[in-house]
Amino acid sequence: MIWQIDLIVLALLVPCAMAAIALKDMMSAAITFGAYSFLMCLLWTEMGAVDVAFTEAAVGAGISTVLFIAAVHHSRRRVAKRRVGRIVFKLLGLSAAGAIGIILLWAASDFPEWASPDIPPSRHLSPYYITKTLEDTAVPNIVTSVLADYRGFDTMFETSVIFAAGMAVAMVLRRRRGREERTGRRVENGFARESPIIQTICRLLAPFMQLFALYVVAHGHHSPGGGFQGGVILGASFILLALAYDLDFVLKRLNEKWTLILANVGVLIYASIGALALLLGGNFLDYSVLSRILPATTPVMARSHGMLGVEIGVAITVMAIMVLIYANIASNGKYDKGL
Amino acid sequence: MEDILARYNYWIYVLLMMIGLYAMIAKNNLYKKVIGMSIFQTAIIVFYVSIAAKEGATIPIIQGAHGAGLVPAIDPAVYVNPLPHVLMLTAIVVGVSTLGVALAVILRIYRQYGTVEEDRILEKLR
Amino acid sequence: MIGPEQYPAVMIVVPLLAAFAINLAGLIDRRFCYPLLLLALGVAAAAALAVLGQVMRDGPISYRLGGWPPPMGIEYVVDHLNGLVLVVTCVVAFLAAVYSKRSVERELPDKIPYFYTLFILAVTGLLGMTITGDAFNLYVLMEITALTNYALIAAGRADRAPMASFTYIIIGTIGASFYLLGVGHLYIMTGSLNMADLRTILPELYTTHAVIASFIILLLGLWIKMAFFPLHGWLPNAYTHAPTATGCLIAPLVTKVSVYIMARLMFSVYSPEFSYRVFGPAEPVVWMAVAAIVAGSLMALAQKDFKKMLTYLIVAEVGYMVGGLWLANRYGITGAVLHIVNDALMTLCLFFTAGIVVYKMKGHAFTDLRGLFRKMPLTMAAFTVGALSMIGVPPTAGFFSKWYLLLGAIEAGQWGFMAALLFSSLINAVLFFKVIEIAYFEPCGVQHGHDGGQAAAHDVIAVDEAPFSMLAPLVLVSAALLAIGIYSGSLVTNIIQYAVPAGF
Repeated sequence: MIWQIDLIVLALLVPCAMAAIALKDMMSAAITFGAYSFLMCLLWTEMGAVDVAFTEAAVGAGISTVLFIAAVHHSRRRVAKRRVGRIVFKLLGLSAAGAIGIILLWAASDFPEWASPDIPPSRHLSPYYITKTLEDTAVPNIVTSVLADYRGFDTMFETSVIFAAGMAVAMVLRRRRGREERTGRRVENGFARESPIIQTICRLLAPFMQLFALYVVAHGHHSPGGGFQGGVILGASFILLALAYDLDFVLKRLNEKWTLILANVGVLIYASIGALALLLGGNFLDYSVLSRILPATTPVMARSHGMLGVEIGVAITVMAIMVLIYANIASNGKYDKGL
Repeated sequence: MEDILARYNYWIYVLLMMIGLYAMIAKNNLYKKVIGMSIFQTAIIVFYVSIAAKEGATIPIIQGAHGAGLVPAIDPAVYVNPLPHVLMLTAIVVGVSTLGVALAVILRIYRQYGTVEEDRILEKLR
Repeated sequence: MIGPEQYPAVMIVVPLLAAFAINLAGLIDRRFCYPLLLLALGVAAAAALAVLGQVMRDGPISYRLGGWPPPMGIEYVVDHLNGLVLVVTCVVAFLAAVYSKRSVERELPDKIPYFYTLFILAVTGLLGMTITGDAFNLYVLMEITALTNYALIAAGRADRAPMASFTYIIIGTIGASFYLLGVGHLYIMTGSLNMADLRTILPELYTTHAVIASFIILLLGLWIKMAFFPLHGWLPNAYTHAPTATGCLIAPLVTKVSVYIMARLMFSVYSPEFSYRVFGPAEPVVWMAVAAIVAGSLMALAQKDFKKMLTYLIVAEVGYMVGGLWLANRYGITGAVLHIVNDALMTLCLFFTAGIVVYKMKGHAFTDLRGLFRKMPLTMAAFTVGALSMIGVPPTAGFFSKWYLLLGAIEAGQWGFMAALLFSSLINAVLFFKVIEIAYFEPCGVQHGHDGGQAAAHDVIAVDEAPFSMLAPLVLVSAALLAIGIYSGSLVTNIIQYAVPAGF
C-alpha cells in the first residue's frame, strides 16, 4: 500500500481510458487499451491483489490485446468519419452516465473508511478464511483456497463461462473454406514479414513458458497463481508461436479437434471431482470425502489434493479455449494461415 | 492525506465507469463500444479490490507456511481481505469471455455488411 | 448412493455434465446430441419435481455446496417460490428441446453440437440463477445464461441476427454489471454475500446511502435483463431474428427468471418493509409498469410481422409482473407469481406456433399466416388456446393471473394499473382476432401457385400439419394452459400462497 504509486497510476488511468476510446486508428486504440490493462495490473499489485493482477496481466493485457488486434486485422482499421451527427446518442450517453455517476458518488459518501481493518467486509467473513485456511485445507494461498474450495462452485461455473465463450466463438465464426466473403479494405501490414530472429526466439521461449505455466498451476497453493493464470500462459505459448510463424504451424501440433476435446476434458475433470464427491456420500464438491478413496490422506489433505485436481482441470480448459478463440478470430473462422 | 486518497479512489472508479458507459452508448464504431464495455467492467473490479485493501497489510498468502512445521497464530489484520480478490478473478474471466464473444459477433457483422459503424449498419437494415 | 437430499445439486450438475457429453459426442456423430439433450433435461425435470414435492411437504430446503456452512460456502435454497419457477423452467426447457429437432436441422445443420451444448448450458444457467442463495453465485450464472444467449441468437442465418445479438451484448452487459455493482455495494456495507445472511445484517443499515443506492442499481440491472420499459430496446430484435429453437427457449424463460430474481431480492434480501416503505413509495414503479403495458401493447399493434408482435407482447407481460409485485398486497403478488408460470407457458405456445409457421411457410410476416387454419388445424387450434390465454378468457390460465392482478389493483387503489390491464386485454383481443382472421378466412398463401390469384376460400387445400416433434410439445403446452387454468385455485393454495412473504 504505497499511496504515491496509487495516486500516480490512478491519475494515468483516466487519460489512457479516454485515449483508447477516442483514437481513430483501431490498432493504436487496441495498444492503448493494452496499456490501460497493464496500469490496472500495477494498481492491483500495489493494493495487494496479486492473484488478480496476475490474471489481469495474462488475460487483460495479454490475451485481450491480441484478440483485439486479430479482430481488427480482419476488418477495417480506421474508424470511419461520421456522416450524420449522433447528437441524440451522445446526449443519452452523457445523461445516463451522469445520472449513474451521481447515484454512485452519493452512495460512496456513506462508505466505511477505506483501508481500515475495521470495516464490515474485513470483520465479518474474511477473518474466518484467513485464520482457518491452513487448518481446513492446508493451503497457504488464501485466494486459492477460497477460489477452489470454499467457493469452488463459483469457479466451476466460471470455467463453464470460458467454455461457453469458446463454443460461442466457434459457432458464430466457424465456416469451411471456399465461400467468398465481402472484404473491406484491409491494411496490409508490411512489417509482418517472417523474421527468422523472432521465429527462433519464440520457438526457444515456448517450452520455458509452458514449464513456467505448469509451475504456476502446481505452485498455486503456495504462491500467487493457480489454474487460470497457468492455463492462460499455456495458451499464450501457442498463440505466441502462431503470431511468430502462422496459425497453420500451431494447428499442425494442436488441431481443432483436440482443442475441443481438451476444452471439454478440463471442465469435465472439475465437475467429475465434484460428482465423485457426490457418489461417495458427501455434498457436491466436498473434497474431504475423497480421502476415502485416496490412499493415506486425511480429509484436510484430501481438500488440498482435490483443489489441485480442479486447478489442473481449469488450466486445461482455459488453455484449449484460449487457443480456440484465437484461432477462430485470427483466421475469421477459416482456420487457414491466419495472422 | 489518507483521507483524500480514500475518496480519490472512489471518484476515479466512478469516473472510469462513466467513461465506459458513455462509450458503450454514444460511440458509433462497434469496436469502440467493446472497449467501453471492458473499461466499464475493469472499473467495477477496481471498486471491489479497493474494498479489500487494508492499511499496512500484506498479500493474502500465509507467511511461513511453506515448509513443514508449526505456524504462529494468524492475525487477520496482517493480511489483505481475500474474498473480493476471488470474486474479481471470476469477473475478469467473465469479462474476457464476453470480449471474445463480442469480437466474434463483430467479425460476423463485418462479414455481412462490410462495415463496423453502427449508423451505416442501421441504414442497411432499413 | 445419491439420495433425495442431493437432488438440488443433481438438477444443476446433470445438465452441466450433459453439455460436455453432447459436445464430445458431437465430435463422433451429430445424431447423438439430441437424445443426450432430452435425457439430461428429463432428469433435471424429474429432480425439480421431486424437490418441489419435498418443499411442499417439509418446507424450504437448504443445500451446502462443498459441505461448507453458509456464509462461508455457497448455499442453495429452495422454497415455494423458486421451487415452482424451477419446475416451470425445466418443463419449458424440455419441451423446447423436444421441439427444436426439426428447426435446428433446417436452420443450422452444420452447427448442431455447438448449438445443443450452448442450449443446455443456457438452461443450466437459468436453473442455477433460480436455485442459488448466494448473491455472487447468481452473477456468475447470470453471465453463463447471457453469454450462451448472445451466441444462440447470433447463430441464425438470418441477416439481422448478428446486429441484434451485438446490441443485446452491449445492453445485457450493462445490466449484468449493474447487478455486480449492486452486490458490491451490499458487500462493502455488510461483508457478506449470502442472501439469508444479508437479510439479517441489513435492517440496521436500511437508511444508509449505500444500501439505498445498491437497491436502485440492482433494480436497474434487473430491469434491463427483463426488458422492462423503457429499457427493453434489445428484446424485439433479438427475439425476432433469433433461430426458432433459440426463441422458444429464451423468450419464455429469461425475462421471467429475471422477474423472479427481482422478487427474491425484494423479499428475501431486502425485506418487504424496505422494498415498499423504506426505499420509497411503491407507486412510481406501478406507474412505470402501466407505461410498459400500454407501450408494449400499442407497439405490438403497430407491427406487420407476427413474431415481432409477439416480442412486444412480452414487454407488456413483463409490465404485468413488475406491477403486480409492486402493488404490495397479497393479491398482486399472487397474481404476479402465477403470471410467471402462465406467461412462460403462453409465450412458449405462441413461439412454438411462430416456429411452425416459419418451418412450413419460410417466413413470419402476417402474410405468411394466410389460410393456416385449413392447412394446419391442430397447430392453429393449439394457437387459439394460447391466444385466448393472452387475452384472458376463462378457463385458460391467463384469465386467472389477470384476475388476481385486477383484484390486487383494486385493493391498492391503483386504478391506472387496472385500466392498463383491461386496455391490454382489449388490444390483445384485437391483435389475435386479426391473426385468426387472416389465418382462417383468407386464402392460402401464394406459395401454392394458384392460377391468376383466383383462390376462393373454399378451394381444397391439403392438410399439411406440422411434424410430430414440433406438434406434440405445442399441443401439450396448450393442454397445460387449460389444465393450469382449471386448477389455478389449488396451485395458489398449495404453493403460491407460501411464496408470498408473511404479513400480507
